[in-house]
Amino acid sequence: MTGLTSSRLTVYASLAAGGLVAGLAFGRVEPVALAAPFLLALLAAVVGREPEVSVRLSLDRDRALEGDEVQATIELSSPRTVERFELLLPLPPELTAEGGTARALLLRAGRERTVELKLRCERWGAFSIGPLLVRGRDVLGLRSWEGSAGDAHSLRVYPREETLRSLVAPLETQVFAGNQVSRVRGEGIEFADLREWQPGDRIRRVNWRATALRGSLWVNEQYPERNTDVVLFLDTFAEVRSEGRSTNDRAVRAAATLAHGYLERKDRVGLVGFGGFLSWLVPESGARQLYAIVDTLLASDIVHSYALRGVDVLPPRTLPPKALVLAITPLLDERTAAALLDLRARGYDLIVVEVSPLELLEPDPESSTQLAHRLWRLSREALRWRYEQVGVPVVTWREGVPLAAPLEEVNAFRHLARPA
Amino acid sequence: MGAVAAYGGVLADSLARAGSTALVLAPVAGVGVLLLVVALVHGGWGLGASLWLGGATYVAFVVHIEHRVDATAPLVAVLLLFCAELAAWSLNERWPIRADATLAWRRGGAIAALAFAGLVAAGLVVALSAVPPDHGLAWTVAGAAAAVGAAGTGIWVARR
Repeated sequence: MTGLTSSRLTVYASLAAGGLVAGLAFGRVEPVALAAPFLLALLAAVVGREPEVSVRLSLDRDRALEGDEVQATIELSSPRTVERFELLLPLPPELTAEGGTARALLLRAGRERTVELKLRCERWGAFSIGPLLVRGRDVLGLRSWEGSAGDAHSLRVYPREETLRSLVAPLETQVFAGNQVSRVRGEGIEFADLREWQPGDRIRRVNWRATALRGSLWVNEQYPERNTDVVLFLDTFAEVRSEGRSTNDRAVRAAATLAHGYLERKDRVGLVGFGGFLSWLVPESGARQLYAIVDTLLASDIVHSYALRGVDVLPPRTLPPKALVLAITPLLDERTAAALLDLRARGYDLIVVEVSPLELLEPDPESSTQLAHRLWRLSREALRWRYEQVGVPVVTWREGVPLAAPLEEVNAFRHLARPA
Repeated sequence: MGAVAAYGGVLADSLARAGSTALVLAPVAGVGVLLLVVALVHGGWGLGASLWLGGATYVAFVVHIEHRVDATAPLVAVLLLFCAELAAWSLNERWPIRADATLAWRRGGAIAALAFAGLVAAGLVVALSAVPPDHGLAWTVAGAAAAVGAAGTGIWVARR
């Protein structure tokens, strides 16, 4: 620990020295008497010793959801009494503690003290909690010893998921078994049609009622249940942030929700973080993939970049054929717009979920920026129109509206538009 | 408020008995009060200078006006120490930190104990001044040694 002295101590020393010198110079006892209490204070400071405090920091868990409370426990003990022991647990802005994380307490010799702090997880992210900043002081605060103590602990705060009643069904299915009814016929449960028996058809597929009516063997055809590939395309080029709210936060929340939803249906889900920092996960299924996606999402932050970037830079396996690409974007960066149009041109089943930044950018009605704001909104409309022209549904997810609402819009769009 | 009251006590003791010299001492005392108020408002800046001016006002009074040993010197010394400690305590309490209630009691007790010990020590010094003047050389040497010791201790503590 680093020893520090109060500036008061220097003043006391100078006052004491000055009083003694003045006493000598003027031949008077009063200045010496004036110096006496300050000399005593100096002596009191000199006898102070560096505290030997054992500090142990622990968290009740290392994973939490947005909005949860995590309890941090700090156990302190010292072989000698520390008159005033101060501690501070530095926290990232995404975590808060009621009443702050600074405490001052008396540590009696040999007695253990426990400090419990309730940390509220305000926003998702991967954080390192600790070490603590500690300071031991003498009773008058003339001398202190500062340092850091305790181990660092990692805390992962996962985004709270939205409730979804249904997901957007991809147009194409893959070859593995899943929960999605395929559009092609084969072995399955869902009835599709009747056809005449052909050599090789199994007897159990014969529809005896139709056979009896028509006088020849007819068999049932079914739609098989297959899995699908879904790629979540997260735009991290730019965001709009205001008063602790941001488009990226909501985009991450949406991505986590969708990943969970599709993986529960046994689909394969991949992730592309498309921005200044490029990240990707090849589509896989299972709980392990969910954790991988969420962990990748926790690290997805807005990194500004001027590099021109297209989908060519992505590894081919990241975007498998017939995959549904769900782009979650605030539609703020031209590079994402171009990349998404490129994906559509390559035949991907593309859906754009626009995380609306408009609620975060209310222009001052008196200000001249209103015109600029209107132009900017018009340019966004034009971009949406470009997507719709190539058959890409663009739905706007506004703040305060459940994610299910724009997804239902997509389903309605696909039902009416019947995209190829 | 306690710090200002203690400081006011030091100045009142000097100025009330200074007679016409009070007019000369008053500006210095006024600057001292101003510096103390500034220190209390602006986080401690000027506290040392304020203490120095308070002490200097009293020393100037006793050197120029009082020809006998001033019996109130221990009280003035303790008031000056009180002023410094209470001001520092007030500044420390402004930190946004949740503290045990016992800490305040212990600090208050420590300040009181230090003040009492200071009063006894200063009173002892004043009492010892009544020693016959033929022992003057020994006391001069003791005083010089104490001054050097105090300055040395201060430097040692500041460097740690």
